[in-house]
Amino acid sequence: MQTVEETIEVAVPVSTAYNQWTQFKSFPRFASVVKRVEQIRPNLTHWVIGFGPVRHEFNAEIVEQEPDSLVAWRSLDRRSRHGGEVSFRATAPDRTAIVVRLRFEPHGVGGRLARSTGFTRRVIRTELGHFKEYIEGLGQESGTWRGVIRNGHVLPSEPEPPRSRVAHWPVG
Amino acid sequence: MKQPPSEEPDESLTVAPPKKWAAGVPAVTHALQYSLEETSVLRTGRTLLTMNQVDGIDCPGCAWADPAPGHRHRNEYCENGAKHINDEATTRRITADFFRRHPVSELGRRSDLWLNQQGRLTEPMVKRPDSDHYEPISWHDAMGLISEELKALDSPDEAVFYTSGRVSNEAAFVLQLFARAFGTNNLPDCSNMCHESSGFALHETLGTGKGTVSLEDLYHADLIFLVGQNPGTNHPRQLSALERAKANGARIIAVNTLPEAGLMRFKNPQEIRGVLGRGVQIADRFLHIRSGGDLALFQALNRLLLEAEDARPGTVLAHDFIRANTSGFEEFARHARTLAWEHVLAATGLTRDEIENVRDEVLRSRRVIVCWAMGVTQQRHAVPTIREIVNFLLLRGNLGRAGAGACPVRGHSNVQGDRTMGIWEQMPDSFLDALQREFGFDPPRAHGLDSVDSIKAMREGRIKVFLGVAGNFVRAAPDSAVTEDAMRQCRLTAHISTKLNRSHTVCGRTALILPTLGRTERDFQATGEQFVTVENSMSEVHTSRGRLEPASKVLLSEVAILCRLARRTLDGRTGIPWDTFEADYGAIRDRISRIVPGLHDFNRRVIRAGGIRLPNPVNEGVYPTPVGKALFTCNAWEMSHAPEGHLLLQTLRSHDQWNTIPYTENDRYRGIHGSRRVVLVNPRDVSRLGLAEGQRVDLVSVWSDGAERRTEGFEVVPYPTTPGCAAAYYPETNVLLPLDSVAETSNQPTAKGIVVRLEPTVMSTV
Repeated sequence: MQTVEETIEVAVPVSTAYNQWTQFKSFPRFASVVKRVEQIRPNLTHWVIGFGPVRHEFNAEIVEQEPDSLVAWRSLDRRSRHGGEVSFRATAPDRTAIVVRLRFEPHGVGGRLARSTGFTRRVIRTELGHFKEYIEGLGQESGTWRGVIRNGHVLPSEPEPPRSRVAHWPVG
Repeated sequence: MKQPPSEEPDESLTVAPPKKWAAGVPAVTHALQYSLEETSVLRTGRTLLTMNQVDGIDCPGCAWADPAPGHRHRNEYCENGAKHINDEATTRRITADFFRRHPVSELGRRSDLWLNQQGRLTEPMVKRPDSDHYEPISWHDAMGLISEELKALDSPDEAVFYTSGRVSNEAAFVLQLFARAFGTNNLPDCSNMCHESSGFALHETLGTGKGTVSLEDLYHADLIFLVGQNPGTNHPRQLSALERAKANGARIIAVNTLPEAGLMRFKNPQEIRGVLGRGVQIADRFLHIRSGGDLALFQALNRLLLEAEDARPGTVLAHDFIRANTSGFEEFARHARTLAWEHVLAATGLTRDEIENVRDEVLRSRRVIVCWAMGVTQQRHAVPTIREIVNFLLLRGNLGRAGAGACPVRGHSNVQGDRTMGIWEQMPDSFLDALQREFGFDPPRAHGLDSVDSIKAMREGRIKVFLGVAGNFVRAAPDSAVTEDAMRQCRLTAHISTKLNRSHTVCGRTALILPTLGRTERDFQATGEQFVTVENSMSEVHTSRGRLEPASKVLLSEVAILCRLARRTLDGRTGIPWDTFEADYGAIRDRISRIVPGLHDFNRRVIRAGGIRLPNPVNEGVYPTPVGKALFTCNAWEMSHAPEGHLLLQTLRSHDQWNTIPYTENDRYRGIHGSRRVVLVNPRDVSRLGLAEGQRVDLVSVWSDGAERRTEGFEVVPYPTTPGCAAAYYPETNVLLPLDSVAETSNQPTAKGIVVRLEPTVMSTV
């Protein structure tokens, strides 16, 4: 298992940085390697990553999520094992340190490339730079989800979030 | 136009060893062979290549979910779906001349297979009192006849409105609106007979009646249980999902009374390795369980998990999850610990080692899914069984987490959507209040009749009018002789149908056949071409657009028939714009969006690729039970018991069958060819009961009312069913199923665990 850790400081309050980061569907707006993200449920996401003409898709479970503090994920695909945490820490009222810690198992040709060249580290560093540019440029987040996830389970922040207001009667 | 066979098939039974794998090349050739017998190459191509595609035709067969857009195969269908869709796309036609040649009494003696083979219904027909023939009637007069009968009733509760799971969301919504505006909640449906037990058990324990998993969860589970389910025949596309799960490292445990081919090995015909190779092993473990033993099995597993926690505290149970999200754990745990092993082993027919091995698999798995179908839901104690499955999932936090959850596998394409649309005799006040606000009439509040209670009411003369939208109620219902007698008591029976079936031949004093568009066909209304929507078993709501020209120029859509009937019957008593609804199904969806929670902005969202994924509150950490938490329950049970000389019978479908309709007399995977009048019996029971292979027997069921329910002339086929358990085909053996034999709480007929004896047939009666 390889580990890569990268840090960046962004000039927005911690809640702004966290809120924007957790709008996973907007990743393609700033991250050049992320082509599409589907948030299937609060704790389940589908990612399409692309390098040139190559596309790689995986599902990731959000294992832990704590507002203004942490997002931890793990991939669900056997052939592409990775996981990690993104932590958020206020360094000043309008500044936030973001640390991305990625653990991955190099796999196949792409994996060998990642291990030998530090390719993954460079990609993360570049994309963090893109995020900084994006959120500092916007100045405010494009949406929020303030729920908490513990050990893969959503702990709702209100008795019944709007998304869950669906037909509850028995279905035969 | 292809010609139907004029005579019944006349083959004799041949039996080959059961197959050990499902699908592969034979699935493709059988699907194409049947399709080309029914229709042309061009129409076959048009149906199959658009089937289950974004913007295509939703398979009218099972309710299995489609892969995400962009991940679907060019041929995204199974053998049975292909047969089913081309059974509807057939170029065979039934005209008025057919009914002149065949009196109703003669049609009543025909087999389900023969009736279906005659082709599509093409014009409205009426059988008038004292006539033995259907004759043509105009749509206007047909609507007039039904509406006059409805208006003449002493009470709206003297009518029932039955829905089958093929009906679209739009038609289902209009039907329930019509019934309630007319004044009754008598809305029985086929759900009452397939997954009603799932709905009740899940609603009680989790606060929602729907399954909690999606295809993505199945792909990423560590351990999948398939309980009382035969995916190879009844949900073949599930095998592709299971294949992918296995490639991702999943283990599968099948729990069944028959070692079905689809549970053993799957050769995916979409893949080279599936065509040329050995295929993928599906079940890593097969628990050859006694019929009805599932509750005891899950209770034993739960006890073993509690004991494992005792041995290694803090490592087995999901304590944080249990504390935060559940209620009733302590009482459940006390109850589970009282379980006696001798009872478990007797009820399941399994060994303790087998059950402990399953426990070990569970302990090794972070993500567990339990799938189940009618092998569970049609047992007398189905609701407690499913509640116990929920206990099992709750113990290790296998709900509300990716790759884990509860998966009732529903069998009919829109059976779940119809219920979402309000087809239920017990709809809650919140729904009825919303109807009232939207349409300005007072919907009836008293609960209506479900399927079993409708039959009882018809038998007692309390129901005068039966309207069936799709389906084949007479054959789907239990206690065939009683059901048929009940239907004949009605003053009027009317069926909105695409094809002929027995329900048209067992009719009230006046009977109508209202022929309708199939899902494969283009639907033009005043505002242009329409599409309909459906909801699959994983709560995804999406569109379905027909591609073929209608079977006849005078066919009306289900929505159009219902809107016209409602307008004629209600005479402007409400301000409901039936004309607008008929002209523009989008107008119906607009109303649905204001009434059904979760379908807001319906028209805009449903046309996106893949449609709308309705969230399940459990996956949001919300348990909408009265206490706001998931409930652990204590479930008592009595072992299913057959007295000496008797067996526990289950009804099942053949591989060449769709719901009540057999396509041939064959059941390829089980090695049965040429006849459906067979009873599958364990070889030990064959000799224990003094029977012989191929012997003809009558099946006689035993029930507390003392009435004799008998069906004659079944050939004994030695088969590896669980000892003490036998199986025979549905719907032929529904006659054995007492109307009063229902599952606790859900009132679902128990088509499993029927106590029967096998009596040698007296030859003169054959």
